[in-house]
This record gives sequence, C-alpha cells and structure tokens, in this order.
Amino acid sequence: MSNNRYKLHPVSTIINFVKGLKDLIIPFLIIFVANGFNVSFNPKEEGFWAELIPLVIMSIFTLAYLFNGVLKWWTFVYWFEEDELRVEYGFLIKKKRYIPFHRIQSFNYKEGIFHRIFGLVQVMVETAGSTDGKPEVILTAITKEAAKQIEQVTRNVKQNNMDSLTDVEGNVAILEDENSIIQPQRTILKMNMKDLIILASTSNSIGVVLAGVAAVLSQFSEFIPYEWIFEEVSSFIKFGFVFVTLIIFAGLLVAWLISVMITFINYYNYTVIEEDERITITRGLLEKKKITIPLNRIQAIKIVENPLKQLFGYSSVVVESASAGYGEKDKKMTLFPLISKKKVYQPLQELLPAFEWEQSLTRPPKKAKPFFYRLDFFWIVPLIGLCSYFWFPFGLLSILIIIPVIFLGLWQYKTTGFAIKGNQLTIVYRIISKVTFVVEKKRIQAIQSKQSYFQRRKNISSVQAIVMSGMTGATAKASNLNEHDAEQVLRWFEKSNA
Amino acid sequence: MYHIPKKGLTVWRLYGLFNTLFVLILACIASFLTYKFEWSVMIYFIAAVIVLICAITLIWLFPKIRWDHWRYEVREHEIEIQSGLFVVTTTLIPMVRVQHVDTAQGPILKKYDLANISISTAATTHVIPMLITNDADQLRSRISVLARVAEDDV
Repeated sequence: MSNNRYKLHPVSTIINFVKGLKDLIIPFLIIFVANGFNVSFNPKEEGFWAELIPLVIMSIFTLAYLFNGVLKWWTFVYWFEEDELRVEYGFLIKKKRYIPFHRIQSFNYKEGIFHRIFGLVQVMVETAGSTDGKPEVILTAITKEAAKQIEQVTRNVKQNNMDSLTDVEGNVAILEDENSIIQPQRTILKMNMKDLIILASTSNSIGVVLAGVAAVLSQFSEFIPYEWIFEEVSSFIKFGFVFVTLIIFAGLLVAWLISVMITFINYYNYTVIEEDERITITRGLLEKKKITIPLNRIQAIKIVENPLKQLFGYSSVVVESASAGYGEKDKKMTLFPLISKKKVYQPLQELLPAFEWEQSLTRPPKKAKPFFYRLDFFWIVPLIGLCSYFWFPFGLLSILIIIPVIFLGLWQYKTTGFAIKGNQLTIVYRIISKVTFVVEKKRIQAIQSKQSYFQRRKNISSVQAIVMSGMTGATAKASNLNEHDAEQVLRWFEKSNA
Repeated sequence: MYHIPKKGLTVWRLYGLFNTLFVLILACIASFLTYKFEWSVMIYFIAAVIVLICAITLIWLFPKIRWDHWRYEVREHEIEIQSGLFVVTTTLIPMVRVQHVDTAQGPILKKYDLANISISTAATTHVIPMLITNDADQLRSRISVLARVAEDDV
C-alpha cells in the first residue's frame, strides 16, 4: 500500500472560515444591536474611537478564524497505512487519529455550494463508536476522485481480510462465490415534484413557517395605517372583513410557498438506493447530501403518520439506527419522508424481507378507554381552576379544553395495539402522530410492563420496548392493554420460550 | 423473586429523614422571615403542614410502598426487576444484552453494609438497590459470567 500523504483541497480553508463566521454572526449581531446601529464613519465626531472598539474586536476575531482555517488546512494530512485510515492535524497541538478500516461503518458525503463549484465533496467517516453524534473524522473538502479512492481502499482491505479469514476456515470457494457476485444496485424510492409539494404541505414544519410568517407580518403591521383603514372601513364593515380574510389568506399562501421552497431545496432529487447491504440516501438542491446506513445497523423501523398525512393517506418512514448522527443533529434517520400508505409496505419488504408489515393487532380492551384521558385531568383541572379564578367569567370557557383532550384520548385508544409474529414485535401507538413501531426480538434491549394502582384494579397494564438509538435509546409504548396480553409480550421476550 | 433486605427499608427511611430535615430547614427560614417582616400568620401553619406531610410520606409511607414493590430475579437467560412507587414497572433484560454491571456504595450504604447494583445495556441502565454487599458482589460476578456465556443465537 502506498504511503502517500494527502492534503485537503485548499478551498477547505474558505469552508472552515465560513463555518467559523456562522458561529460569530450572533455575537456580532448582539454587539451591533447593543450599539444601536449608530456606527459613524466620521473620525472627527465625538466618541468615534470608542465606538470603533467593537469593530476592531470583531475584525480580530474574523482574522483569527481565517488564520485558523488556513492553519488547519496547512497541517491536515491523511494517508493509508497498515489497514488504517490515519489523520493528522494541528500546529501547536498535533492531533492524530488512526481508524482501522474494518471499524468504519459508512462514509457520508455532503456537498455545499463551495464544494459544487470546485467539484469537491465533504466526507464524514462513521464508526460504530461514534455515538456522541459526531462523525469520527471529517475531511472538509477533497476531490470526488479522492473520496472514491478512500472508499475503494476501504473496500479492498475489508475484502482482503475476509479472504484471509476464509483461508483459515478452509471454505474459500463458497465465500469467493459470494464475493464475485456484485449485488446490483436497486433504486427503492425516488421522489418527484408532486411528492415534494405534498410533503411541504403536510410536514410538521409548515406550522413553524406559519408562525414565522405571522411574526414577520406583525413586524410590518407598524407600517399598515390602521387608523386610516378603520376610518375608511367603518362605513364599509363588510369590506373590512374581506380585507382581513385576504390578509390571512395571503399569509397562508406565503407560508405555504416558503415551505414548498425549503422542502424543495432540502429534498430535491431525493433518492433511496440499496446496494451491497447498505442504504444510500441522496438529496438536496444547493447542498447535496449523501448518507449511508448499513442495513445491519438498523434497530427498528417507525412508520409515522401525522394527522394531516393520515388524512390524505400518506406516511413517512423513520429508521432508528445504532450509530447516532450522520453529521446532523437528529439521531433518527428519515428513510422515506413521504410515501402513500398503500405503497409503503412494498419498498420496505424489498429492503427488509425478514419483517412482516401488515398484521392484525391485539387492541386494548373497552374498559381501558377512560385510562387514555383520565390522567390528563391531573393537569387540566388545576389549569381550568386557575384560568377560571383569574379571568372570571371568561376563564370558565377553559372547561372546553376537556373536549379535545378526551377526543385525543379516544383517538389514542382507537390507534393503540400490538402484534407478535415469530421474532418480530409490532407496536402501534399515538401521541399525536400515529406511529407503527416494528422491531426484531434481537434488537430489543429491554421490555417493561407498567401498572398503576388503578390499572391493577381493572387488570390493565402498559408495555414498552426499548431499543438502542443514539445515546439514550428509543421507546415504543402500547398503553393500557389487557393484563394477560401485556404478560404475553413479556413471556415472548424471555429466551426460554423462544 | 427476591425481596430487598429489610435493612434497605431502614436506609430509605434514613434518606427520607434527610430530605425532611432539608424541608424543615426551608420551613424554618420561611418562618423566621415571616416573624421578622410580619407576614401573614398563615405561613406558619402552611410551613408546618408541609413539613408534616413530608415527614409522613418520605419517612413512613413511600419507603414502605417502594420496599413492598421491589423484587428482582436473576435467571440464566434474563434479569427481571420489579419496582415503582405509584406505577409498578416490571423490566425484563436478556442476559445477551447486558454490557456491564457496576456496584456502587456511598458512606451511608457502607455503614449498613449494603450496595447498589446497576446493570447497563446499550440503551438503558437498571438498578437493583440495597443489597447486602456480599450478595451484591456475588450477583455482579454471576451476571457477568452469565452474560458472557449467553450467546446471541436469535
């Protein structure tokens, strides 16, 4: 193996620098706002020099970041040696990191705007150990060929190790056969324009965008001449009503357009490919991202339907994976952001043939119905009490909140259920969105049944399964089942009954 | 299923006593301030009632319920733990999933010759509290042996 030492592409200095600037934006803004924006450029004015101090500090920081970016690029080298990917950087404090190839779980790629101009790519190396949400090694910018080379070297080394292993065990022929069959690459899902628009309209983020637009509009309300409008309008009340409706409608439209735009930028050309026991997701318009999940790292699958999606017969699929963070904050990995409920099982079946997706569920008994909303009264009753006391008599209207809470409880009751089939456990539950949680027995870390005093009197009990996901694990809970059904899940989990 | 040793109940009551003392100190401060600044007399009563409730629940009631609910059993293939105050939780951990076992002992536990065992899986940590130190050490080594033997054949 060659011991060439490779450097990053010089553009990585700029990328490092820009990334650093992003962190600085907020302190800068605070300084500016605190200053009241009155930065003067006239040296003769009083207090000019005092006002200059923040500017000077800012430029020092900026320069430091730039210098740091250059230095990091200058010292950063990576090379391959002794079946390891070795990385070294740092000027005063040298940091070295050696990663054995067989420990590498996956490579994830990201292409920002700078990367795309120069045909570069950012590589994030993921190992099993990197559960703190950060990739083990980040190569900020290298050419696409270099990225391919790293992947190729890794694959070769892994292959060689396998071969040498088989030599020892003496069944070379079989494994060589397996190696020689190059698994075809299968496209599992590709999203088109229509999907993207529906996704934009039904995702939870539209609420956030709505709030944002409302906030911006309220900022502009200073400029709307209300008095004039009211004077004019007092004689045309009907016109006023139309006007307000129009404004609300325009706000909704703008929010929707922004949401579509954001979704379009993030999810443009969303493709899921299965190849060589791993799933690869590519997406993005301006910033291209490529994420790889090895199939054997998947702990559980969640089919999530928020009420809006459920209404239109759509769902999304989320993967709980053992390695946290793909260079992103969320440990959960969205596999299919939007897929019609009717079609969802087919690609999942292709990806994970071991699972069965459609099952008849064991439901909670009728007597469990009140348990789904009774506990909520703990916080509702004091809330209503306080509201009624402080805002009498209108506060009494807060009693109405009971209706949606009970309705939601009944909805949760209707949704909840579980199914056991062979080594597979399916739990369906709802907090607000309906979640179908599918997991294999060998991926479950622990199973718990929970029973309060009141539940025991009615022979009702809840069951939850905990799987590994990032740092903390993920939990799926089927609430208020019949006691013997809950018991059944526990006994199923015991090894002696396997 | 095994119970927690009776000594554990005593230690829990002791913890409850400490917590109550802490509340008592707060109540004393409140009463002192009330006296100094001549606030409403009601505050004395409220403080007294709070301390009384804390004493009853933390020293007498809660440790008793908790002790009644705690069970544990270490079998060849799994560990079963039952615990809880208002909600009784039964946890089932397969031996194959156990990653490591710790015992911990603070000064109070040491005085009573007790120790806590905590069992960690990849995603969760479960505690069996208040075991006689010897038992705890034995249990720990037994779990670690069983966990090593257990094979993942699923």
